[in-house]
Amino acid sequence: MNRVGLQYLAGDLSGGNARCIAMLQAFQEAIRDYSTPPEKTLTRDLTSKIGGFVSFLIECRPLSMSMGNAIRFLKSRIARLPLTLSESEAKTTLCSDIDRFINEKIVLADKVILRHAAAKIRDGDVLLTYGSSCVVEMILLYAHELGKQFRVVVVDSHPMLEGQKLLRRLVVKGLSCIYTQLNAISYVMHEVTRVFLGASSIFSNGTVYSMVGTASVAMVAHAFRVPVLVCCEAYKFHERVQLDSICFNELGDPDAISKVPGRVDVNFLDNLTDKQKENLELLNLKYDATPSDYISVIVTDYGMIPPTSVPVIVREYRKEYLLI
Amino acid sequence: MPDTQALVNDFLNKLKKRKIEGSQATAKQTAELLRSVISQTRMPYTNQASALIHSVKAVGERLIAANPVELAVGNVVRRVLHIIREEDLSLTTAAMAGLNLSAESDDEDDTDRDNHPALSAAAIAAASRSTLRPPSLQTLLEDVPDSAAVPHTSSSGGDSEGKSKSADKSSRSRKLKHDVIEAVNELIQDISTCRELIAEQAVEHIHQNEVILTLGSSRTVLEFLCAAKEKKRSFRVFVAEGAPRYQGHLLAKELVTRGLQTTLITDSAVFAMISRVNMVIVGAHAVMANGGVIAPVGLNMVALAAQKHAVPFVVLAGSHKLCPLYPHHPEVLLNELRSPSELLDFGEFSDCLDFGSGIGAPLLHVVNPTFDYVPPKLVSLFITDTGGHNPSYMYRLIADYYSADDLVLERRTASGN
Repeated sequence: MNRVGLQYLAGDLSGGNARCIAMLQAFQEAIRDYSTPPEKTLTRDLTSKIGGFVSFLIECRPLSMSMGNAIRFLKSRIARLPLTLSESEAKTTLCSDIDRFINEKIVLADKVILRHAAAKIRDGDVLLTYGSSCVVEMILLYAHELGKQFRVVVVDSHPMLEGQKLLRRLVVKGLSCIYTQLNAISYVMHEVTRVFLGASSIFSNGTVYSMVGTASVAMVAHAFRVPVLVCCEAYKFHERVQLDSICFNELGDPDAISKVPGRVDVNFLDNLTDKQKENLELLNLKYDATPSDYISVIVTDYGMIPPTSVPVIVREYRKEYLLI
Repeated sequence: MPDTQALVNDFLNKLKKRKIEGSQATAKQTAELLRSVISQTRMPYTNQASALIHSVKAVGERLIAANPVELAVGNVVRRVLHIIREEDLSLTTAAMAGLNLSAESDDEDDTDRDNHPALSAAAIAAASRSTLRPPSLQTLLEDVPDSAAVPHTSSSGGDSEGKSKSADKSSRSRKLKHDVIEAVNELIQDISTCRELIAEQAVEHIHQNEVILTLGSSRTVLEFLCAAKEKKRSFRVFVAEGAPRYQGHLLAKELVTRGLQTTLITDSAVFAMISRVNMVIVGAHAVMANGGVIAPVGLNMVALAAQKHAVPFVVLAGSHKLCPLYPHHPEVLLNELRSPSELLDFGEFSDCLDFGSGIGAPLLHVVNPTFDYVPPKLVSLFITDTGGHNPSYMYRLIADYYSADDLVLERRTASGN
């Protein structure tokens, strides 16, 4: 658990799926090592222990929406454990439930998404993606393996510069790529035929909550009449609604903005006087909310749905995994 | 004219190597160079204006070819040509008005009419022929009107009239050069003071407790905001950093030094923050005749976001940035691609550059444009040194500053030569 928390803190582990899987596996280990103290019931004590772990993780880095959903799933499973089970049976049931969750909701869901999305890629396409989403990367590599001829535009932004990692992985596999930064999207959007974006979560009013800058990409694509496809597993859907990006967001490290890695000529903000520092505020937002009108279709493991169908899935299928 | 040639070559070099930063500096230096060219031009007895125009055009074409993306150079060249035509026209009308008056007052004393000696009708006709004619089908098909016209006019006058005419012409030629140089000096003065005139209008647009967004760094915007601060308006500024040059950092530093509340945000956060912003104020690289703006990269994205959230998008531009041309495919033709090393470190990615597809072409392309085109429908207001204007009005300002004959500066080579 400590190891996972430190990885979050250091930023080594990023991306909704990766963080969620790592957290669930850490919970599995914690459950296997757990033993009920005397005079306490398994369900209540385990739930409070899980709560303790969650607070520790929140200290390292605020939870993503997918992690929040996974924790709710786990707590509901613990609460539904029949009281007749012995401790070891309860523990094995929980661990196998967690395994099933990871398998069905993430691994298999990704495979279904791959098949749906790859069908939307034609020969000669120019596909644009922003930042580094594991699902979109899988889609691109899968389509390339299928033999489709297309080019990829990787758009990146400061300060995270995640696109560079994606770029390297794509070029190594032989995809022809164009790399640019976010400000230049109006320049490249003329040639682009499809935009593929990942999401951290999708809210019930169809708003896509994802890495900061995604809203700008979707907006410019909409202005140039380029279809925008958001690829997201259904377990990330949430019943919240949100209209703008300010009401709920995560703040990153402010000093990350003033530093530009690898470029010594642009360090303008070194050596500020106190008076200057008093008036200057550095704001490093991590997420933003893309309005649903910019999204053409959402590719999920339940199929390709319009943004208006998200609350339907949240309502109808949420009950499903609670009853596994 | 060896002296001016050296100056011209030196300036051409600076333009080609992109050593001059900013359209104001470029415009000013272009105007000063053209002033030297004009003062060094030899003026013939007739058609002085054409001679001036010819020498300015010759230099102007070379300047524009050196840096076609820096539109301020072409703007200043065309302004100077327009000045020459205007001064010539006003001198001729003054001369003709003087002649008419002296023709009417033949009986009166000639002592106060030293500047306008009485001339015959033939001289009047010669004077009107030597001014620049508006384009007609004949003039468009003529290649070199000056040399053909010179013997024509000199043969029309008689000897006595020739002497008084030549005396008049030499004084007129000196006067033309003098007037043109004075007008060019005024132009240089206007270019230097455009920021102050724009900043004076700041108080009309910024009220209390406002939030203003800008991207990158523009000295015009800096002075605009500081002028509002001096008039005790309270507002805060969001500055987007403007990758990959990160000029927003510079602007933020300047603003906090002058005591303004500033927040530095990333370019990706512009859409997120713009719902809390009252106004977007940006500078421009050039303003085209249709009201479109050539602006630093990223501003089209900001303009679209501002339109979505109904936030006014205000562009500050000095009148030397107004270009009489219409933009055709401006993202490509009026853009410059900078070095990819600003985006990617070559050392880190050198291994990626080795992979080639079947035809041996590199797999990795890096695109780093300098400018963006913002269409006129996204701009709410232009603030220039002459006041505030709608984008749909900008084409009318062109008539004030430019002549229609100067829009295409490249001359066709004649079939005989």
